[in-house]
Amino acid sequence: MIDLQDIQKTFNKGRPNEYVAVRRVSLKVEPQLVTVLKGPSGSGKTTLLSLLGCMTRPTSGRIFLDGREITSLPERFLTEIRRRTYGFIFQQFNLVKGITVLENVMLPAYPTGERRAVLRDRAMELLELFSMAHKAPSKVEWLSGGESQRVAIARALINDPGYVIADEPTAHLDTALSREFMEIVATLKGRGKTIVMASHDPIVCSEGLVDRIVEVRDGSLVSDGPHR
Amino acid sequence: MILHPSIIALLTGSILTSGMLLYAAVFAVQILRHWDLSSGSELQLQLERKTYLISTLMTYALGFQLIALFLFIYTANSLCSQLIGAMCAVGSLKANQWGYPAVVLQAVSFLVAGVWLVVNGADNRGYDYPLVRKKYLLLLIVAPLVMAQTIVEALYFLSLKVNIITSCCGTLFGANVTDQSGNLLSLPRVPLQIAFWGIFAVTFAAGLAFCLRGRLGWLYAAGSALFLPVAIASLISFVSPYVYELPTHHCPFCLLQPEYRYIGYLFYLTIFTGGVAGLGTGVLLPFRRIPSLAELLPSYLRRLAVLGLACYTVFTVSAVVEIAFSHLRI
Amino acid sequence: MSAVERHRNILDFTLASLMRRKGKNSALIVVYTLVVFVLASALFFTQAIRREAGLVLTDAPELVVQRLVAGRHDLIPTAYLEKIRDIRGVTGARSRLWGYYYDATVGANYTLEVPLEAPPPEGSVIVGEGLARTSGAAVDSLMPFRTTRGEITTFAVSKILPSDSSLVSADLVLLSEKDFREMFGVDRAHATDLAVTVRNKKEIPVIARKIAEALPDTRTISRDEILRTYDAVFSWRGGIMLALLAGAVLAFVIFAWDRAAGLSAEERKEIGILKAIGWETSDVLLMKFWEGVAVSLTAFLLGIVAAYVHVFFASAGLFEPVLKGWSVLYPRFRLVPFIDFPQVAALFFLTVVPYTVATVIPSWRAATVDPDAVMRG
Repeated sequence: MIDLQDIQKTFNKGRPNEYVAVRRVSLKVEPQLVTVLKGPSGSGKTTLLSLLGCMTRPTSGRIFLDGREITSLPERFLTEIRRRTYGFIFQQFNLVKGITVLENVMLPAYPTGERRAVLRDRAMELLELFSMAHKAPSKVEWLSGGESQRVAIARALINDPGYVIADEPTAHLDTALSREFMEIVATLKGRGKTIVMASHDPIVCSEGLVDRIVEVRDGSLVSDGPHR
Repeated sequence: MILHPSIIALLTGSILTSGMLLYAAVFAVQILRHWDLSSGSELQLQLERKTYLISTLMTYALGFQLIALFLFIYTANSLCSQLIGAMCAVGSLKANQWGYPAVVLQAVSFLVAGVWLVVNGADNRGYDYPLVRKKYLLLLIVAPLVMAQTIVEALYFLSLKVNIITSCCGTLFGANVTDQSGNLLSLPRVPLQIAFWGIFAVTFAAGLAFCLRGRLGWLYAAGSALFLPVAIASLISFVSPYVYELPTHHCPFCLLQPEYRYIGYLFYLTIFTGGVAGLGTGVLLPFRRIPSLAELLPSYLRRLAVLGLACYTVFTVSAVVEIAFSHLRI
Repeated sequence: MSAVERHRNILDFTLASLMRRKGKNSALIVVYTLVVFVLASALFFTQAIRREAGLVLTDAPELVVQRLVAGRHDLIPTAYLEKIRDIRGVTGARSRLWGYYYDATVGANYTLEVPLEAPPPEGSVIVGEGLARTSGAAVDSLMPFRTTRGEITTFAVSKILPSDSSLVSADLVLLSEKDFREMFGVDRAHATDLAVTVRNKKEIPVIARKIAEALPDTRTISRDEILRTYDAVFSWRGGIMLALLAGAVLAFVIFAWDRAAGLSAEERKEIGILKAIGWETSDVLLMKFWEGVAVSLTAFLLGIVAAYVHVFFASAGLFEPVLKGWSVLYPRFRLVPFIDFPQVAALFFLTVVPYTVATVIPSWRAATVDPDAVMRG
């Protein structure tokens, strides 16, 4: 469980361009559920997502992950926790160009010092799962949008995280592909992953498998409730 | 002043290393003044990022120092042909009052920088930067040391005077020609041998106990601190004559020459690496009880101790081998 | 899970990244290699020449006595030999005849010398390889010389000194004592200087002092002093070369810094992605470290090998004229290949260290991108 307590995130503090992206938010993310952060762009949902994913440290407030406080952990520990706990899927897919699909999937695990052969097997398994195994040796530049998305998901799962965090995952996908993505989310949920997404896509928000929708506006939570 | 390529290289290296450490020291002061782990302020985040830079700078500096130490000895050695009465580095270094202080400063700053990195490695294992203040205070000692070394080194090279033929006369009668070959020290041989073997035995036993049982750490650290100077003295006093196969040659520097199979590199690398590992263990021992380190520090210390023991053993074994296979019998 | 595997994985990725940006990186490597090449050439060349001079001098007499008249080197009476032989510790003293000769047709200075052992028969000469090539002399051909009386005399070339012998013998003409004396009008009671051998090297200063006391119009020069002077002069020349090249190094460092600081948007984004998917600052720093090692190692090795070939196989064609000196007789000669740790270490401090220092801060800046930057961007 991720537990945000009274979290505030201020950028450029003390300067004329100071601005508060997230103000005094308390939020608990329950395990094995699908949570959607909903809100217009600039509402602070991406910042909230990166706070949930331990990518950013809050200006004030405390964050607990499975009961352990991680608010002021040094970066090297936070990163290690992040690597083990979270898988990230980005709006732009953010695959590294010029290297193969397989290498892209393996990339997050390089610093863990795992043996390459073990890593390769696991990456191939994941690609298999998303029927991308045949593309393993090709460069990512040649992939379609849907394929890129699936490689990005495989990459997010390489370290077998408990949480999957996705930022506007369907923003660059058409309706058919967005539905396909939600099917994958269903698979992940079925495998016991906790999923947190930031999105204002109706396809995402209206999906039956979403357990909870949190509405964010101007850095604060507006409404929070179970889906439907 | 002698405009020798190696001198230019050494001075360039020292000045750049000093520059890096000065830069690091400025941030060390900032960290000492503004460090506040509980704060999520941008200043604190900046400082935490700076710690990465400082570690990187220190690692590079240590690497450069190690190579510089050997190049310095080499340069002193090759300068002897330009200095009257100097037969090897010993004579060159005696050419003015700055030579030996430069070598000593170089060795000391290498050791302290090495210990810093050992402490840094331990600090990085704790999730709450347990040693951050001590570490940056230590950095404020390393930086002036390296800068002092740079200055002394520059003074040494700048005040060297070459004796060359002038048109008015040939042989320079003015210069006091004294034989400055390798007879640096004639330390008492037998007491030193006893001291060496005694300290080696105690350090080895204590180190073994520390590795296996986590006990006698203090004894091991104290032994390591003594081993360093005693090993160097032993090298000069009773190991080097066997290497040179000359009972009167005690030069600590000629060991690095190709004629002697570069055996000096092995000796000095093991002495100094072992020294860093041993001293590092000693410095870290008091911090075993810090909660964030209690779990990880013992295994880190054990690995350090293993490294130290390996170095001392390699040193001792190779010295014994040199003595055993030498044609010299004293 | 091990540190070694972590290094391996990151190194693999770094190398792949370098290959991906071949065009961009090769520009840096070319400039880097060039800088190493120029510095290494200067260093190898001066060190080799210095060593060569030392090797030549190993056959030189331990002590040379010259007569000075009004502070200038003058012919020395051979009668001095007896006085020198009487000094204790001296094992032998012989007179030497040598001098310089300007050949107007070739426009070059030759060194003429009467060898102490095995001089050529009268009427013939042995010449150095450089001289033979410039003047077109071959074995059995005749070489004209102008005597001090203005007459032309010719000598048959009986032998050419092998080309692998060094620098100093290139302009050498060896001839018999009689021919030398006739050509330069030196009478039998005089010689150019005296070569003295001593029993114990350590006594050289003492013997030199005794000679100076017995023969106040002479100076003594010991071999060690000549060596020391050569050493100083060649080291100094090498040093001057390096000092002059400092500008090139500085320009290179600024170039390297600029490139490291001005990371392309693509590279910046890539590091952002790595940070976002779970790489830590020190992982990125490690990547940058390996990148530096790969670039430096490539450029360093290429530069050194190129310089080695340039100096030892191509006779340092690029700056031979600057470094070698006065004579036109040295267009082609080969130095004995010689390279050692101090030279490599010196090069390391003059190229790799400045490069590393210049790139460390930009690398760190790149590595400390916020992990959430890709989400915000």
